[in-house]
Amino acid sequence: MADQRERRLLILAAIFLFLYSAILTLAPAVREQSWNVSYRLSHWLGFALWAALILFAHRTLSQRLPDRDPYLFPLAALLSGWGLLTIWRLDPSFGLRQSLWLGVSVAAFTAILRAPHDLNFLRRYKYVLLTGGLALTALTLLFGTNPTGSGPRLWLGCCGFYLQPSEPLKLLLVVYLAAYLADHMPVRLPAFPLLLPTVFVTGLALLLLVVQRDLGMASIFILLFTVMLYLTTDKRRVLLVTAGALTLAGLVGFFFIDIVHARLEAWLNPWNDPSGRSYQVIQSLLAIANGGTFGRGPGLGSPGLVPVAISDFVFSAIAEETGLAGTIGLLAIFGLILARSLIASMRAADKYRRLLAAGLTAHLGIQALLIIGGNLRMLPLTGVTLPFVSYGGSSLLTSFIALAFLLTIGHQTETEPAALLSPRPYFLLAGLLGIGLAAASLTDSWWAVIRGPDLLTRTDNPRRSIADRYVLRGSLLDRDNQPINATEGKSGSYQRVYLYPDLAPLTGYTNPTYGQAGLEASLDNYLRGLQGNPASLIWWDHLLYGTPPPGLDVRLSLDLKLQKKADFLFNRSKGAVVMINAKSGEILIMASHPGYDPNKLAQLGQALATDKEAPLINRAAQGLYPPGTAVTPFYHAVGETDEPASQVKSLYKSLGFYSAPHVQMPVAQPSADGEIENLRVTPLQMTLAAATLSNNGTRPAPRIALAVNTPQQGWVVLPSLSAPVDVFAADNISLVAQTLKVEDQLYWEWIGNAGSNKEPVTWYLAGTLPNWQGLPLTVVVLIEGDRPLMAQSIGRQLIQAAIKP
Amino acid sequence: MSGPIVLVLRILLTLGLYAFLGWTLWIIWQDIKQTGLRVVARKIPAIRLEVRTRNRAPALRSFSQAEVTLGRDPSCDLQLEDETVSVRHARLSYHHGQWWVEDLDSTNGTSLNKEKLSTAAVLMTGDEIKCGKVRVNVSLNGNTDIQNV
Repeated sequence: MADQRERRLLILAAIFLFLYSAILTLAPAVREQSWNVSYRLSHWLGFALWAALILFAHRTLSQRLPDRDPYLFPLAALLSGWGLLTIWRLDPSFGLRQSLWLGVSVAAFTAILRAPHDLNFLRRYKYVLLTGGLALTALTLLFGTNPTGSGPRLWLGCCGFYLQPSEPLKLLLVVYLAAYLADHMPVRLPAFPLLLPTVFVTGLALLLLVVQRDLGMASIFILLFTVMLYLTTDKRRVLLVTAGALTLAGLVGFFFIDIVHARLEAWLNPWNDPSGRSYQVIQSLLAIANGGTFGRGPGLGSPGLVPVAISDFVFSAIAEETGLAGTIGLLAIFGLILARSLIASMRAADKYRRLLAAGLTAHLGIQALLIIGGNLRMLPLTGVTLPFVSYGGSSLLTSFIALAFLLTIGHQTETEPAALLSPRPYFLLAGLLGIGLAAASLTDSWWAVIRGPDLLTRTDNPRRSIADRYVLRGSLLDRDNQPINATEGKSGSYQRVYLYPDLAPLTGYTNPTYGQAGLEASLDNYLRGLQGNPASLIWWDHLLYGTPPPGLDVRLSLDLKLQKKADFLFNRSKGAVVMINAKSGEILIMASHPGYDPNKLAQLGQALATDKEAPLINRAAQGLYPPGTAVTPFYHAVGETDEPASQVKSLYKSLGFYSAPHVQMPVAQPSADGEIENLRVTPLQMTLAAATLSNNGTRPAPRIALAVNTPQQGWVVLPSLSAPVDVFAADNISLVAQTLKVEDQLYWEWIGNAGSNKEPVTWYLAGTLPNWQGLPLTVVVLIEGDRPLMAQSIGRQLIQAAIKP
Repeated sequence: MSGPIVLVLRILLTLGLYAFLGWTLWIIWQDIKQTGLRVVARKIPAIRLEVRTRNRAPALRSFSQAEVTLGRDPSCDLQLEDETVSVRHARLSYHHGQWWVEDLDSTNGTSLNKEKLSTAAVLMTGDEIKCGKVRVNVSLNGNTDIQNV
């Protein structure tokens, strides 16, 4: 009966793991969206080893415990297989090690099944075992190492294999407490016999905390001791005392012990320090958020981004790849294991075995809840392993030994269960563990579904730049569809190429290390395909590949021919040029010098940000300069030269000097409303204001992104973000433009200077006359320095080139 | 094309996980049902009690439930109308495969085969329970031969 049930469940578990392995094999093809990839195959070795070992263990179980609980072993087998494949997916070399450890664990498991079922040998040698465990733990103080080479030295190692003695020590502590308390039952509080274990456990926990700085293990020891004492005494004050003591210890630790403070701080305020102490937990939450409801699929997420994903953060790795559905399944499996273990405890034939089984249940439950809670930011992070799942030989071995004890205790024989004074503590233990698992499910849903979409847009989510390697990003084109920035290469190694580096201050860059800047940042949603594509396509691609659909090309208003000329003329001066269509506001030229080559961003790196010349700044839209005498024509347009301050303010306001232009590019914060003395304007603001002279007194709304190429409707026009503003009466402004007219030419011009003697700036404003029948144009040249002739020369050449192409 | 294929596999994967869980819960449910049915169907051997009160004809009663209370109170399964019997005097119960008798702190005590009961004792056919001055003869397994002691 039990054999048959167990076999069926094991077959279902094997089907699940087979599907997992199959998806993992195909994952690279999905990522790169091509069949011509190198498939993942090595994990099948892990699957085969798992199947063989589980079959062997199942055979032994059938022989030794024919009337066992048929659920416990398949549940644990599924967990260990799931963990094994997850580890293999994250790092095949650790996967192989874990498979070998699974072999060792199954060997130990079957060995215990062959031992006498009353487990009295443990009881008899409790002191020997405990002393042995302590001695091993003590050895780590002297010879402790860490397999990764850094971090807490909690391991004993030899010949490439490492053992963490505090893992089996937990088990030995449970055995010891069960034997000791069963001998001293019934216990009445306060009882002298309890003094010894109390002092012992507290001392041990403190030692672990202070010497080894192992917060998780110390908490587990204290909690286990409390649970076992409560089960024996049925006195709730035991729980209250421990709760009080833990709170006190937490407070003391918060103020005096560095590691406790760091962990609690990272738990309470993770968003304050996302790249430092709370880096791990925030990356874990991002992984869970990326998983969403159904997960990205095995091999299709990026759980490797979370530090120590194979052991401490294996839960968030599973959450990312199987989603909320998978993790709730995982929590349900843990719930079932704990429930069956408690049932085994209730049915145990004597007090010692009952306490032992309950203690083992508490051990598995507390440890699972501590680390899952830590991954979900439900509890402070403690570096313990997830039983059966996490990488770690000692942990897997300990979990399988505990499982063997539980199965042995739960083996149903004809004997009646031992008498139980009161079932209340057992009910309470079951209730608390159940509440813990339910709370974990709810927290998981919160991060995965409700907060998930917001979390994923965080800039410290590296998944966006990973997706950029696999999905084609849209190109930035000039008004004649000449590419400016484009993506080259093939899926998996896409790279952004900047074909016209002189435009870098405007178009910016998109880079996995340095993020995004300029138009690449402000038009990112189109270029990344998140805007302009139908919502159903975005949803479908996210479901299939976990990435946005291919990006859309964006056509800019820039005229590359004129732009090249401007950059050529500017040569080595510092400053900016803006030319716009005075009527439509389309920006034809936007040059800023000095610039940088975004193709060499990796080599230039941080030096760019600290460069005194500020090459990253787009001087045309982000550079703020005093207007000086450049604004004189506007005074003429209003008719008087000595304006009272209030009228100057209203003039500046209507010229748009106090408001940032609405356009899809980063622009400078404008000067405060009403500022006159210290007014600073950008060349773009000045150009828009000067356009009134060429556009019958109307200030146009600027445009840079003209259209986006959508798969369904072709080029879709992007409207300007604001409306034109009428500033001057058409007649007045026409007169002003005529007075500024250049002899024998079709345009007006004005040269202004501003700034102090130390930092002079030169403005050159020019534009077509209002009665000009062709393309209405306005150009503004700004040079940092007193260079009126040069500014005039650049400006004239550009406007002449634009008028007569 | 690989995307939709893997999507199908991913759906199957989730279904596989829940099939495992569902199957586990289903057989646990079956297990509970079976246990329940077994408990319900467990045969309790009928107990026949012959009551001999002073000045009255012996009365014969048979019980098939797992617990029988004896006492003067009308709510008792077997009412003994005698002033030497307490309101709730003694209890017969079937567990661990046997019928047991225990005294319920009665004033005049209960004795089994002339020995005063202090703890619960196992009953056999032919035993005589004495509650106060009322004697009750026990026969099990539907054995109708009441032996007089």
